[in-house]
This record gives sequence, structure tokens and C-alpha cells, in this order.
Amino acid sequence: MPDWTSEIESRLASLRLTAGREAEIVEELSQHLEQRYAELRDQGVAEAEALALVREELLGDESIAERMRPLRQANVSPVVAAGAPRRELLADFWQDLRLAARMLRKQSGLTLMVVLTLAIGVGANGALFALVDRVLLRDLPLPEPDRLVTIWERTETTPQSLASPLNMLDWERRSQSFDAIGGHLTGVFAMVLTTPQGAEAVMRQWVTAGIFDALGVKPVIGRTFFAADDTERKQSVVLSESYWRARFAADPGIVGQSLRLDGDLYAVVGVVPDQAEILGRANLWGLNFIRAAPERVRGQYPFRTVARLKPGVSLEAAQAEMEGIAADLAREYPATNEGRSVVLQPLRDAVLGTELKRTSVLFLGIVGFVLLICFANIANLLLTRNSARGNELAIRSVLGADRRRLKRQFATENLLLAGLGGVAGLALAGALLAIAPAAIPQDLLPSGVEIGFDWRVAAFCIVATLAVALLFTLASSAQVAELTALREGVPSGRRMTDRSSRTREALVVGQVATAVVLLYGAGLLTRTLITVDSVDPGYRAPSVLSLFVDPLSDSYPTPEALLQFYGAIEEELKANPGVASTAWTTTLPLGPSFAGKLFYDVDGEPAFVPAERPTAEMQIVSTGFFSTLDLPILAGRAFDDGDRPGAMPVCIVNEAFVERRLRGVEAVGRTVQTWQAEDSSQPPRTCEVVGVAANAKRRADEPEAPSQIYYPFARLPDDDIYLIVRPVAGDAGALASSVRAAIARVDRESLVSVTDIATLESVARDATARYRFRALLIGAFAGIALLLAALGVFGVLAYTVQRRWREYGVRMALGARRAAVVRLIARDAARLLIPGVLVGGLLAVVAGQLLGAMLFGVRPFDAPTFTLVLVVLAATAAASVIGPAFRATRIDPVGALRSD
Amino acid sequence: MLARELKKGSAELIILASVEVRARHGYEISKLIEAQSGGEIKFHVASLYPLLYRLEERGWLKGRWVEKAGQRRRRFYSLTAEGHHVLARQRETWQRFVRAVASLTGVSHA
Repeated sequence: MPDWTSEIESRLASLRLTAGREAEIVEELSQHLEQRYAELRDQGVAEAEALALVREELLGDESIAERMRPLRQANVSPVVAAGAPRRELLADFWQDLRLAARMLRKQSGLTLMVVLTLAIGVGANGALFALVDRVLLRDLPLPEPDRLVTIWERTETTPQSLASPLNMLDWERRSQSFDAIGGHLTGVFAMVLTTPQGAEAVMRQWVTAGIFDALGVKPVIGRTFFAADDTERKQSVVLSESYWRARFAADPGIVGQSLRLDGDLYAVVGVVPDQAEILGRANLWGLNFIRAAPERVRGQYPFRTVARLKPGVSLEAAQAEMEGIAADLAREYPATNEGRSVVLQPLRDAVLGTELKRTSVLFLGIVGFVLLICFANIANLLLTRNSARGNELAIRSVLGADRRRLKRQFATENLLLAGLGGVAGLALAGALLAIAPAAIPQDLLPSGVEIGFDWRVAAFCIVATLAVALLFTLASSAQVAELTALREGVPSGRRMTDRSSRTREALVVGQVATAVVLLYGAGLLTRTLITVDSVDPGYRAPSVLSLFVDPLSDSYPTPEALLQFYGAIEEELKANPGVASTAWTTTLPLGPSFAGKLFYDVDGEPAFVPAERPTAEMQIVSTGFFSTLDLPILAGRAFDDGDRPGAMPVCIVNEAFVERRLRGVEAVGRTVQTWQAEDSSQPPRTCEVVGVAANAKRRADEPEAPSQIYYPFARLPDDDIYLIVRPVAGDAGALASSVRAAIARVDRESLVSVTDIATLESVARDATARYRFRALLIGAFAGIALLLAALGVFGVLAYTVQRRWREYGVRMALGARRAAVVRLIARDAARLLIPGVLVGGLLAVVAGQLLGAMLFGVRPFDAPTFTLVLVVLAATAAASVIGPAFRATRIDPVGALRSD
Repeated sequence: MLARELKKGSAELIILASVEVRARHGYEISKLIEAQSGGEIKFHVASLYPLLYRLEERGWLKGRWVEKAGQRRRRFYSLTAEGHHVLARQRETWQRFVRAVASLTGVSHA
């Protein structure tokens, strides 16, 4: 029996099958051929002819190798010579990937560092990007947001003022540019919803009929307001979707029912999606009647407006038309509209105010800087690693690996690294955004604008990751070219040319510069925070509890009943041995206020024309106010029980009022006239100044104390009021539950909602929340930057020491002292730090100017901050020099000279 | 012998059909095809085995070495579940094709 094995083997040779597979095929095929031969012989075919026939089987139309070439099994890669020149991309990639994974596992420390750095860079920046994206890049979450504008009234003194309801109606009637115009009051306040189960607070905002059409918000169920609801004065509300779901379990039957709010019945006409919260964080919106308002209302300006431009109408065209209409109105109603015009602003700009944009631009700057510093750091780590692999590269290239193949190997490693870092970064971004709503100050983002993790953030992270991979690949390609060029020589990392080192040094200089900029920015913002946090609020009481008390509108119909109710609560609290004193006020120091501004004149002083009258902040306070806060009365007296209706009208002014308006002259006994509004169509309120109080801060960052006028509560009882309670000793927060219980004992029928329970300390903290947020944020990033820069300096120095091992050895063998070697290393460190500090310093001066608007109590160029930055940097630099220097002084000269 | 093109187009179908009922080894498959086609269709070693390996790589056939007492081991090929699907589909396609050619050319179906 002839043996076909060698015949088959020779035909398969070109396929480079694995040995095992080739043996199988040879076995199978030779069996076939043997059987065929045996059969032919059985049939009586002569031996020679049978042999020829069988051999013919192997020939066929194409050779067997030709037919097998497309098969996978014929494409097994050779086991040896990783990096050999090959053409099969996918197989190579797979091989590269496995090799890359092996390399990364082997250098797990470095891998971990790169992945962590990248995770921080991508993750933190991804989270910040979500905010920037929402504020700077993306449209409002409303249909066709480009058509939405705000119409402001404009006077000579106020470029953007709120709108009068009657003007709004005239705009609507006379203009052709808008599909709808609506208005809303800016405040969102609690109302008491009474149900058979008891009373609860709901957040309500007043709007006019056109508002939802203007926003383009379609009702989820029911309808929104019609103009007819206004004309017929139907008390009605629209619920927000989330409130409807949470409170009424998404019951569609709610439409048509009535809710008892502050004692009055309001019909629910519909439910709108939460997008409408762009107006304010309300649970429901109540219809504000404006269509039958008397003409005198034209002089009141309570509304913010939202208008929807007709398709194709430009802002400019609408502006031109509206100016014409405003001019007509000024002619027709000179008493109120003289000198009034209008100005249109895209709603997006009106909603996302300059403050928010400023913060976002700051963030954008930080995003860029920190990404850069992360990139630089990783690039540095990888460059160090690559040069350490000089030997490996040289050997592989001598063994026949071509450069392209080696570059691809590096690219694969970088991609794998970047991928790992990117995934970790995505996870970090997701985690940060999950906790972000709790961390960012509540009033930083306008209501209805939420930030969260979405595909755009994911895309940002992925693009950043890919950019990293690309950048590193470019860098390492250049290095591969350099390293493999050395293959003729003895492969040794020591022979690295200087180019890579210079790149690395430049990167570190950049890192140091970035760290300087961020540290300086963090320093300025921290000093601002310290300034606003340590601002003297004016009052001296160490701890005071405040509660917002809102009685139902018809539960205490007369001022007397209201005062009696408030008095009863104070009586009840007096019985509490822990309470030192209590008072009522419309305004909290460093907190919100329910009383507005007043225009005023002082008798005996030169009078102003109405439009130029100075303003003062109005506050309505009860007799105990000054003693409860321990706000000093500097002259005259505080309010007392005699300041009640029927008695002579009195007021108290503050120090700033006296200094500014009366040039420090004695104020007690003077008569002050005040107006609620700019126009003087209403008669003024006249009162006599009986005391001068110390300034109480209204805002932490007000450059100078505002003028303040206090009115006695007994004369002007208000039903939007804060109760303040001062404990005998200790933390006022501990009184919260007993104060609530005292109110409940007086308010047996639950006709009052008590909300916003907080100590004045926490109110003050909230007031500076955005400063804290900014300082914390940039501080955190500056910390990261500093750490990365320190690692960068350390890395370069450590590498230099390693590279110059022999040189140090020679020096020491020739008698150099250890101190001299340390000096050498310190000089290397200085070469990195000094240019970094210089460049960073220049940039920091620019950055300080850019930060100017966010600073308070500190100038953009602040020498102490700068000095502190230098000290921190010097300390960090010293820390990163110690390690390498120590290593260099331990060099054994003989060993160093013997080592290759 | 049929035209080369026709054989090429139907080769996969023929091979799959040959092992539909039970697993067979390569030689058996070639004999079966030759016998059932009345000698019209023959597969050489050089074309049969690469085809078997290709169908195996696609997951339509499964090859297994089977050892019987006192004999050399042989590699048997059987249809996989996916192979059964493919066979049914190809059979249907082929039938449609044959019918279409028949009605176009007036060659009656045998």
C-alpha cells in the first residue's frame, strides 16, 4: 500500500497550519486515498493506473491549499516573534491586545496610576461638563426654545424691569409678532391646602392665562388657562405633573375638582409637565386675574414675562414692533408710561443669568486645565515607561518587528489603558452626578434646569478618552521611531536621546504652571469665601431660630385677629423656660425678605424728583426684634407696645441711612415720607424716626450696608412673616420642636403652615453657599493639580537620577560629596519649577482678572495669596525631590561604574 | 459530468443533504454522492475536504473522530442544528430555482 502522507504534507505546507491540525488533515485525507486505491485494485485496475487515478484526486481544479486558504484554521498565527511584520489586521490586533493586557498587568502600579489619573480627569470633567452643557451649550427644555423671549420694560434708570399687567395686555392686543404672551410673579410661596386629613403646605406661583401657551407646554391631562377664565374670574389652578403623581397618585379625576387653598376653593383645570417649573419650583400655578384690572394697576410692575415669537419672526423685528407699541402707550398713558420702552431678551439668557454663566465659564476653564494636566501627567508616565522599554523595543526590532507594527502595539496598549481609564471615568462621572443635586447650591441652577448623567456626558467622556489614546499614540509613535533608530547600537535605555526627555520636561513645566494657576484661583476664591463667611451680620445674638409662619388668608380676617393670634403664640412661647425672647419680622438678616424696597424723602432735606428718589430696604418688625437679635439701638429707642394703630406713626432707620442721607446728623425726631412704588400716584406713608439701629447685613457680599427703614409690626401686620426665637443658652436648633408644638397648641384647627425652620447661622451659611461651592470645587481641582504636578516633578527627577546613575557614581568616586550630588538634583528640580512658576504666575494674573467678578473682599492680584501658593508649591517640590535625592546619595560608586 | 458552475452552486446543498440522515465519513460521502447521482457528480479529495472544513467552520457540520474496536479512527461528519436549518432553506431555494428555470425553458420537471 503506497503512503500518501508526504504527498499531502507537501501540498499543505504553504498553509502554515498548526502542527496538530495538519496531522489530522493528513490522517483523514490519506485514509480516503488509501481506501480509494484499495477499491480500484479490487476492481482489477492495474497498480500503476490506480496510483495515477488516486493522485488525480488530489489535483482537482484548484490545489487543495488554494481551497483551504480562506479558512480560519489555515490562518493560525505563528507562536513566536511577536511584532513580526504581518498583514492580518484583526489577528494582529487580537495578539496586540493580549500582549498589551499582559504588559499592563506586569506594570500594575503604573497601570493603576494612569487609570486613576484618567478616571479623575475624565470623570470629574465629565460631571462638570454636564453642568456646562446644560447652562452654556444646550437649549431650554421647552419646545422650539429659540422662539421664546422675555419682554422687559425699560426706563432710563432700569434697563430691565418687570412688566405691568395692563401693558402686557396691550402688547398682546396690538402686536403681530407673538403667538402668546404670558406673565408670572417671580416668587413661589407656600399656601395651605386643607383636606379632610388635615392641612399641608403646597408651593404656589401666580401666573397669567397666556403663560403655558407661551412656554409651549401642553397639558398632561385637562387643559391650561383660557383668557375666559381670567375675564370670568374663575379661581383656578394647574398642577405640576410630579405633584399630581406624588400627591394625587396621578388620578385623572382630579380635573374638575376643587382644592381648598388658604381657605378658598380653586378648581383644578389641568396638569402640566414639570418643564413648567422653569417659572419657579411650584407644585401648582394659580391664575392671576389681570383682564378686568382697574387702570391704576398700569403703574404696578410685578410680572416677569414669557412670550413666544411667531415662526419666522426675528427678535429684532419683534423688538422694533414693540418699541412702536411702547411709544404709543407712552403717549396714551403719560402718567405711567412716560419714558417707558421695552426690551426683548431671549428667554434662555433671562433664565440662565449672568451669575450662573460666570460660574459655568469658570468651570469650563477648570475642565480644560485639569484635563490638560491629567493628559500631561499620563503622557509623562507613559513616556517614562516607554523609555524604560528601550531595550525591549530594540530587541524586537532587531528580531524583525517592523516599526509600524511596534507603533501599533503601542497604540493598542494606549487604547486599552485609555479604555480602562475611560470606563472608570464614566463610572466616576455617573457617581458624581448622582450626588450633585445635593452638593450644588439650590439657587445656582434655575428651577426646571436639572443636571444629570445622559448620553451627552457619556459622549464627552468617550471623546475625551479617545483623545487621550490618540495623543499618547502620537507621542509614543515618535518615540518608537527614535528608539528603534538605535538598534544598531547596544540596546540600552541610557542611550536615549534628549528629545523625549525635553518633551517630558516641557510637560512637567506645563503641569507646574497649571497647578500655580489653579492654586492661585483656589486661593482667591477661598479668601472670598472667608470674607463673606466672616462678615459681621450686625446682630450679636449667638444663635437664633427662625420659622416661616403663614396663616390661611381667611382664618384671621382682620389685622386685629392676626395680631391676637401672633400674640397668643408669643405668650405660649414665654411659658417655655428655654426661650429668652421672640419676635416677628418680614426679613431675616442674610436671608430672604417679604418686604420690598421703599422710595423715601426726609423732611427738611432737599427733595428729589420722584424718579431719582433714593431707596431703602423696608422691614416690618415686632417690638422684640432688636432685643431678640441683639441688634444695638445706637440712638433713640426700639419699638414698644405703644407703637400701635392710633398712636403716632413711627419708624426706625439704620446707621447707613443716617450717614448716607443725613450726613451723620441726628436722625431721631425727623419725619420721613416713603412710597411703595417709583411713581408717586399713591400718597406717601409718613412717620417719625424714633431710633437708629446698627446696620444688619442683608447680603454677605454687599459692598456697603444698604439704608434700612423699620416699621412697627403692630401697625402693619403681615401674614407672610418669620418668627424668630432666641434660646436662653445653647443652640437655637434644639428649640425647633418645642416651638412647633407651641404654635400647634395655639393653632388648634391647623390653619397655619410652618415652614423653613432654620437657625440664622444656617440661613447665613446658605447665603454664601455659592461661594463655598466655587471655592470647594476649584480647591479640590487645585489639590488634584498639585498632586499631579508633584508626581510629574518626582517622575522626571527619579528618571534623571536613574539615567545619570553612572555619572553620579563617577563624581562620587572622584571625591564629590553627597551634598554636591543633592545640589545637582536640586538644580534639575529648579529647572522644572522656575519656568513653571513664571509661566503659571503670568497666567494666574490673567486668571485673577477673569475671576474678578466672583471675588469679594480680595483684589484680583493678591500678594499674600500668591506667596502662599509659592510656599505650598515649594513644600510640594521639596517633598518630590527628597526621594530621588536620597537615592542618588546612596549610590555605591563602584557598583555604578560596573553597572551597564 | 455536469457543468462546473452548476456543481459549484449546489455543492454545499449536496454535501449537507448527504449527511442529513446520519453521520458519514469523507469517503462514504463521496461514494454516496457518486452512486446516487448515477456517476454524474463526483467530488475529488482536493475539493471535498476543503468544502467539509468550510461547512464545519461555519457551524453547519460537526466533524468527530470515531474509534471502533480493531479499526483505525475515522472522522465522521454530522449536521448541526444550524446545518439543518440551512439545508431546509437551501433546498427550498433550489426547488424554486429549478421550477423557475423549468417554466422559462419548457424543460419539464422529471
